[in-house]
Amino acid sequence: MSAFQDFVVLSLVKAAPLIYAALAGVICERAGILNIALEGQLTVGAFAAVAVSFATGNPVVGLLAGVAAGALVGLLLGVAATRFGVDQIVAGTGINLLALGGAAFGLTVVFGQPGASAEVPALGVTGERIIVIGAFVAAVLLHLGLYRTPWGLRTRASGENPRAVHSAGIDPRNVRLVATLLGGALAGLGGVYLSLAELDLYSDGMTAGRGFIALAAVIFGRWTPLGATGAALGFGALAALQFVLQRSGVPSEFMQALPYLAALAALTGIAGRARAPQADGVPYAEV
Amino acid sequence: MIRGLWIGFGLAVVAAAAMLLAGANPLLGFWALFRGALGGERQISETLVQTTSLLFPSLAVAFAFRAGLFNIGAEGQLVIGGLAAGVIGARLDTSGLISIPILLVAGAAGGAAWGSIAGILRARFGGNEVIATLMLNIIAALLANYLVVGPLHSPGAAGAETAELPHSSWLPTLLPDTRLTVALLIALALAFVLRWVFDRTVFGYELRAAGDAPEAARRAGIDLAKTAFVAMALSGAMAGLGGATIVTGVLHRFNVSLSPGYGFIAIAVALVGDLDPLKIIIASFAFGILQSGALTMQALAHVPKDVVSFVEGLAIVALAARRFVAGRKQMTAVAQE
Repeated sequence: MSAFQDFVVLSLVKAAPLIYAALAGVICERAGILNIALEGQLTVGAFAAVAVSFATGNPVVGLLAGVAAGALVGLLLGVAATRFGVDQIVAGTGINLLALGGAAFGLTVVFGQPGASAEVPALGVTGERIIVIGAFVAAVLLHLGLYRTPWGLRTRASGENPRAVHSAGIDPRNVRLVATLLGGALAGLGGVYLSLAELDLYSDGMTAGRGFIALAAVIFGRWTPLGATGAALGFGALAALQFVLQRSGVPSEFMQALPYLAALAALTGIAGRARAPQADGVPYAEV
Repeated sequence: MIRGLWIGFGLAVVAAAAMLLAGANPLLGFWALFRGALGGERQISETLVQTTSLLFPSLAVAFAFRAGLFNIGAEGQLVIGGLAAGVIGARLDTSGLISIPILLVAGAAGGAAWGSIAGILRARFGGNEVIATLMLNIIAALLANYLVVGPLHSPGAAGAETAELPHSSWLPTLLPDTRLTVALLIALALAFVLRWVFDRTVFGYELRAAGDAPEAARRAGIDLAKTAFVAMALSGAMAGLGGATIVTGVLHRFNVSLSPGYGFIAIAVALVGDLDPLKIIIASFAFGILQSGALTMQALAHVPKDVVSFVEGLAIVALAARRFVAGRKQMTAVAQE
């Protein structure tokens, strides 16, 4: 393969978990939940997949467990935000702390050692390819789902004007709950990819801020599935570029910081007016 | 208060269940935790060191919250403050009467500058301060790593840290042979000053008005954009000052991993303390016990220390009070007009 092909493949590989997490962010934010706990969902997905693959010897069961665990963490945010009136930002921060601590704790309990797990049965190259392709399929499906189905309309409306949704006889809190559940599952799959497809183990901190890069991708992609996917691809290419530029004298920290700097720039609106859903992050309470 | 006790009880039960899961005896676990935190003069002094390191960012978080701003970036502001103090401190060899104030001010200035970035984005462009501070946390860590290893590498330093500060720049200790320094007194003084600012000054009133009822505040002539900027800058200054006290008082150098997440735990501390500076002192002590007892618990009772982060995260979710919801809703409504 040529160097260029290598670069493209590496970009896709680096982009895949970002796409899943970014799509999770899009669903949640379009429904009105600012999900800053994506990092925690990636972490728990990655850990649960490895732990279950270790326990059962079957990586596919591990994959399903990772997705389910991510969904549960998403649901925790959803329930806290829609049922207990807990602020989404505060809850998200707590969930990230809880997830990182929980995974580190679980690592010691399950594998008897801190830092990193043992190697476990993994999904292999085929599995990795399927999950990478799945990311793009998920993006298209979510695009169609959000813009072409009643579910999508309800979801978008809950993020723009939840009161109107309620007037139409649908409780926007339930719509938001479904969004956090789906989002958590997607982010969980992103985590599974990191631990069971790209590698065959879990190590502390392996998500390395991807949940926050995904939030940046959501803003950059203007809260649309295809836009966020494009942004995640760009950030994946940046990550791949780091390997190319390793010996070029460009500080790797600068390359790593670019997605976050891009997000700050997007907040100033220089990339055109990027508007968040009207009720993004705004709790909905019956009055 | 009663509800708080119930939540505390519930969290203790969860912690006990986690210890059982880890194959440890919960009673032994709690005993080791408290022994590690309060079992003697040395342990208590270390707990107070943790209390101090938590108190600065917790006050920072509470200050911004009171003004209706979610400063999730205390961690990054603390790192930048510590970086400023460490980089300057490693190059400054003079009397402590001169160098210590310079380093503390440098830390506060660094934190303020970092907080201001989010403040400007919010005040000038209406950019979401939550996203901004989240991004700035990571940029701070990367920047610190780059500078300390690269251009600002101090001669003789190993790894991602600066050289040791000259002894004259170390904060004076309160007890001999401990790491407990005057930083504790500075943090306590800051808490009392903040309480006074909130309760007794026009500025504090404006901040609270902007946080509690932004629409009313705007109609009353309070400049919300300016308030947001000032609140973020001052909040950053407090967190940065905290970073500087860790560098000058505890580590005596800047290290990229100087904070085990103080800026995030601070959110729990601020909530437990009801955003009241004086109650936050007590909350910081409680969380200081967790931080400082965790290692003893791991060593004596074989409970992985990470159970502490888990319980702290759970505490944040459980304690987030309903009253923020109202303030946040109004604030966002105004921001979107």
